[in-house]
Amino acid sequence: MYVVTPYPNVLYAFDLTREGYPLKWKYRPPVDPNALGIACCDAINRGAFYADGKIVYNLLDGHTVAVAAATGRELWKTRIADLSQGETTPVAPLVVKHRVIVGASGGEFGIHGWLKGLNLETGRIVWTAYNVGPDSEVLAKAGTFKPFYDRGAELALTSWPADVWKNGGAPVWGWMSYDSSLDLIYYGTGNPAPYNPEQRAGDNKWTASVLARRPEDGTLVWAYQFTPHDSWDYDAASEMILADLAVNGRPRKVLVHFDKNGFAYTMDRATGEVLVAQQFVEVNWAKRVDVATGRPVVDSTKLTGASRGDIKDVCPSLEGGKSPASPAAYSPRTGLFYLATNNMCMDYQATRATRIAGTPFIGANTPYHAGRGGHLGAFIAWDAAAGKKVWQTTEPYPVWSGALVTAGDVVFYGTLDGWFKAADAKTGKVLWRFKVGSGVVANPITYTGADGKQYVAVYAGIGGDWFLLSGDVRSDDPADVRPPADFMPDIARHTSQGGIVWIFAL
Amino acid sequence: MDLRPLALAVMVSAACGGHEAASAARHEARVFAGGIAPPAGTGTALENPFRGDRQSAAEGERTFGAMNCDGCHGGGAVGWVGPSLRDGRWRYGGSDADIFQSIYYGQARGMPAYGGLLPAGTIWKVVTYLQLLEPPANVPTQSWK
Repeated sequence: MYVVTPYPNVLYAFDLTREGYPLKWKYRPPVDPNALGIACCDAINRGAFYADGKIVYNLLDGHTVAVAAATGRELWKTRIADLSQGETTPVAPLVVKHRVIVGASGGEFGIHGWLKGLNLETGRIVWTAYNVGPDSEVLAKAGTFKPFYDRGAELALTSWPADVWKNGGAPVWGWMSYDSSLDLIYYGTGNPAPYNPEQRAGDNKWTASVLARRPEDGTLVWAYQFTPHDSWDYDAASEMILADLAVNGRPRKVLVHFDKNGFAYTMDRATGEVLVAQQFVEVNWAKRVDVATGRPVVDSTKLTGASRGDIKDVCPSLEGGKSPASPAAYSPRTGLFYLATNNMCMDYQATRATRIAGTPFIGANTPYHAGRGGHLGAFIAWDAAAGKKVWQTTEPYPVWSGALVTAGDVVFYGTLDGWFKAADAKTGKVLWRFKVGSGVVANPITYTGADGKQYVAVYAGIGGDWFLLSGDVRSDDPADVRPPADFMPDIARHTSQGGIVWIFAL
Repeated sequence: MDLRPLALAVMVSAACGGHEAASAARHEARVFAGGIAPPAGTGTALENPFRGDRQSAAEGERTFGAMNCDGCHGGGAVGWVGPSLRDGRWRYGGSDADIFQSIYYGQARGMPAYGGLLPAGTIWKVVTYLQLLEPPANVPTQSWK
């Protein structure tokens, strides 16, 4: 079992064939500690990828490394991102054949967001595709780039004021998927920079969007923007789950995406057409999504901007109806999607921001409060063909765990107050729970051990925004003492800092 | 009170720190705000000329926002990815000169050096703002009913 830690990004290989699971090796790369101050939202790492006898992952300071899975020996290390421009790299790579696909965070630092394709054997950067800017840099070529809703050239340039796109954000910090029959990779882009939308008139393509590219050379095939001219920090970095569903009685190859903006999208993954778009949490920034035009019908009273003052009670909060940090799961047996959600709204006061390289580029103050019902989160089951919630279990705190669903119709997730739970995938009834001590913001996995038994494993260790916001949870720095979060003042009572992998036999 | 054991402990830790800095120099590198390195030899004043001055603190607070300090240290300097600057505790020392130098030259772990962008007087006003923040009434113990 391979485990990669948050900064300083140690990689551990545990020998699961021996009693006590001793280490086989560990790999400790040098990582620039300055990355701690450039990473917007804690020093997290979203995981490693195994391919061709290698473990490939990103260090926070803008490097991708490949390590021999058998020995822990470093095979190559490539600098992919520039810390001095605000780029950090917590994202998990996706390996497709001989390409390693990587991106960078920095939507809060005004980066010029990109995706890169590396050679798996050598680590050499083969292509760079920007998410915003001229077609030549976005790799949108006439004849091969066919978005479903948009027409014309230079869309990612003309939807911005002159030069503003150069610091326009569109980071890549979530998850990527690959369809081998269509030979397309799918990934979502983050927010436009800065948060004050008045500094960037226009749709700001392709921020808060899904992009479909060829893995070999990065060519853009289609793109769709979930939140045009995003005014609420609604990154579209959440995973794109590929499934075959019957939509309106027709079998479709779909992509299902639960956006921070509160809508769940079921799309044709060959073309980028939106088939279903329904809210899966309380939403008030838009009334609905018009699937004919692909555009949200925005409530103009919820538009933000430095000249508009403090816009009260926008739902969902910028933590998302679902966080991209907590991937959903799909069961072909039940036909349902399972996901952690947040029941939170925010006030949004934008201010004018100045870009200074190496410093944040934000321009908004956005305090949170609980949504309707007072609970801060829920775990839900979703029918993506119909666009309907099937069941829901409310949780007192935001839920930031990934989901796992098994062929035994059991769904697993963790909570911020340190419970690991198993529920009936058909009804949501909680079957079992275990206190793992620290908040779960990772994704459970299941596997068959060398002894033939089925195991479920989960990493427990609160991190990310909730760790930073609930300042009194942290206890690792005697020179840093913070008050509790006003919207969940007692979370530190139920969770502490963690960092333990728990393994359960079924 | 006998202070000798304490003094010894400080000497030992200083020796360890020196050794670590020598063997891993790249880990002491700084980020420069705006990509501009601070001029050498100017950040050495020892006392804050504006200490306690409310007008200077108000100007310092505006600079704290305009220079994006709040993006890392949080609104009101309450702490985010960067540490809280209003808890009365200081990772790199809380004297006038310590705080000034942290801003002017930066600190490893991502605190950018602002000495290349801001004149010393502007930095002293930020120091004044931080020094006048009221520390919360926190004590080392947190308890619940």
